[in-house]
Amino acid sequence: METHGLVKRFGDNVAVNGVELLVPRGCAFGYLGPNGAGKTTLIRVLLGLTRADAGTMSLLGHPVPRHRDQALARVGAIVDEPRFHGHLTGTQNLQILAAARERAAAERIGPSLERVGLSHRADDKVSKYSMGMRQRLGVAACLIGDPDLLILDEPMNGLDPAGMQDMRQMIASLVAEGRTVVLSSHLLDEVERTCDAVAIVDRGRVVRQGPISELLAGSSLTLQVGCSDAPRARALIAGTAIGTADGTHVTVEPTGLNVILPAGTGHEVIAEINRVLVASGIAVYRLQVLQASLESWFLQVTSRLGEPQ
Amino acid sequence: MATAAVPVAPGRQRGAAPDHRGSWLPSGAMVTTRFMELRKRRGVMVTLVLVTIGIPTVFLGVRLLLHAVSPKTYGPAGGYEIYTALVSGVLYIFGFIVAATLGVTAGSADLTEGMFRHLVVTGRSRLALYLARIPAGLAIIMSLVAVGFTIVCAVCVFAAPTRLQYNGVAVPAGLSRTGLESWAADHADDVICNFNVKFGPGSPIAAVLNNVPCGDGPRGPGPLSAPPGAQGAAQPSDAQVRNAAAAIANMDYPDYARHFLAPSVSLMVESGLWLELEAAIGFVVGLGLGSLTGQRTVAVILMIVLEVILTPILSRARIPHFANLQRAVVGLATAHLAPGGLPVLGGGGGGPGGGVGNPGLLPESTTVAVCVIVAWLVGWSVIGAWRMMTRDA
Repeated sequence: METHGLVKRFGDNVAVNGVELLVPRGCAFGYLGPNGAGKTTLIRVLLGLTRADAGTMSLLGHPVPRHRDQALARVGAIVDEPRFHGHLTGTQNLQILAAARERAAAERIGPSLERVGLSHRADDKVSKYSMGMRQRLGVAACLIGDPDLLILDEPMNGLDPAGMQDMRQMIASLVAEGRTVVLSSHLLDEVERTCDAVAIVDRGRVVRQGPISELLAGSSLTLQVGCSDAPRARALIAGTAIGTADGTHVTVEPTGLNVILPAGTGHEVIAEINRVLVASGIAVYRLQVLQASLESWFLQVTSRLGEPQ
Repeated sequence: MATAAVPVAPGRQRGAAPDHRGSWLPSGAMVTTRFMELRKRRGVMVTLVLVTIGIPTVFLGVRLLLHAVSPKTYGPAGGYEIYTALVSGVLYIFGFIVAATLGVTAGSADLTEGMFRHLVVTGRSRLALYLARIPAGLAIIMSLVAVGFTIVCAVCVFAAPTRLQYNGVAVPAGLSRTGLESWAADHADDVICNFNVKFGPGSPIAAVLNNVPCGDGPRGPGPLSAPPGAQGAAQPSDAQVRNAAAAIANMDYPDYARHFLAPSVSLMVESGLWLELEAAIGFVVGLGLGSLTGQRTVAVILMIVLEVILTPILSRARIPHFANLQRAVVGLATAHLAPGGLPVLGGGGGGPGGGVGNPGLLPESTTVAVCVIVAWLVGWSVIGAWRMMTRDA
């Protein structure tokens, strides 16, 4: 999945603003962003549900919208809340969708329902389904096309913890089969657990993208210091070369000091902070390096954009 | 923006399965599943069945029952008159409305119920998605109309009266001109007193008629203009009376010939095709309107207003400078194509050939009527398909 300079406007509002995105094949890719960031709009543009105002894009190597039919032949997608004909059963809804795909799609209805755990309710009317069951039916609707690329917009919505666990496992198994899964979500914890790589979108623009491990490696560290005199410790650190370095920020918290250190900070810096404090007569009883999480990194990246440039 | 390389997992190598999802032609499976989707709508289907089959069946059933209980008080359930009333009064008007309702439902349901998005994501041509609804919906509405119409035909033929009531006189049906004259001569008093014929004041027959007693006096009131002093003249002979009755029958024959005990086969075939055409128009227009508006309620109301209010008004009113615009109303066009003998659009037509050249309707040639119908079918299909192809899903 690839986009270049993709733009979508709604009047004066630019929902997708020059998006450059590259999703490699065969991975689970998280597409993250705060509410209103333009996640769903980008997906809608990619799938041909609405038209782009500018830019180019391709799915599975097929330029879209020119070869939209070929591209979507191997794409399954849930966009927004999955809704179906309530007066039909789950199976009947899938039959309608299978009829619009290739002939073999009808044969995949049973296995797809089995895979998402809906076989026992397949002949119930969808109007009697819970939100989570409709979500599963949406995934089954994706699977009947035997897709190479799945685009799932907030697939965890409405799922209970067990359902979320099932969904994680299913996504992992889909990726293991060589499929590409793009997961749009604001549930950072889920994305971190499920995806190999992410893109962060904010105000219609992709601001970061890449493997989670590499992105987090480039983010700042947080050092929590438990000590006897936090205000004096703060002043001491601020007076050193470490405290004046770019990217370092020291705050006093009820539990002690919070020292935010730039990306790539080595252990020797932490040892130096400890030495300075102890040498000044401050008792240090705890030093804890907090591993940067996707959530903290996401907040850093997106909040930075909110500041005046 | 930072972009880092992502390791690529072992790919699933597979060629794309050949299909024709870019084609604008819907597949058979698309049509059958769309048929299923519409057929499973309980509320819509119950309404369709009630209107197209239920109303005529109940009406005819009650008449059959009443006639069986009290044949002298209640006339036969079937017959030509009942047939025309049901076909042009019920199946024509309500058939269009329920067909339009089904069309609007087919055109808007995917949108309102969120299914449209799933369908678009399949990559199937949006035009094919639209076109699949037409045969599916027509299969439903046309078969229902056919069933309802068949019931009407069956009852109207098999429960038709055995004698024709013509001007209040029981007359054998299907007589030739000579046969009617002969019958009239044998029932001269009934014919002279009841048949509605005028003769000029100088006519010798008028003199005869004015001297035949009918109820309280001579044949009257006032259809004849007998010469002054004629009344009170000598009583006409039997031969004169018989001749007068035969002359009346001769003059009345064209009107008599339009009265039947039961609808003819040709009339039933033409009426059936005409009703199916009306239902097809209703469905296709409703489908286009439903697709255009994207919702059902307003579209159904518009269709009802068109059929029940606008069409009768525009078909009969003479609005200066707007006659051609009035002729563009599809209901007027279909009324002009009505088979002979069917009074349409609120009555007033009647009689064989009453559809074309119906004096109550705004004049319109058959060619124009056909063009209007084709334009409506094509126009609304294009509008509906265009909206579906350009709509954000």
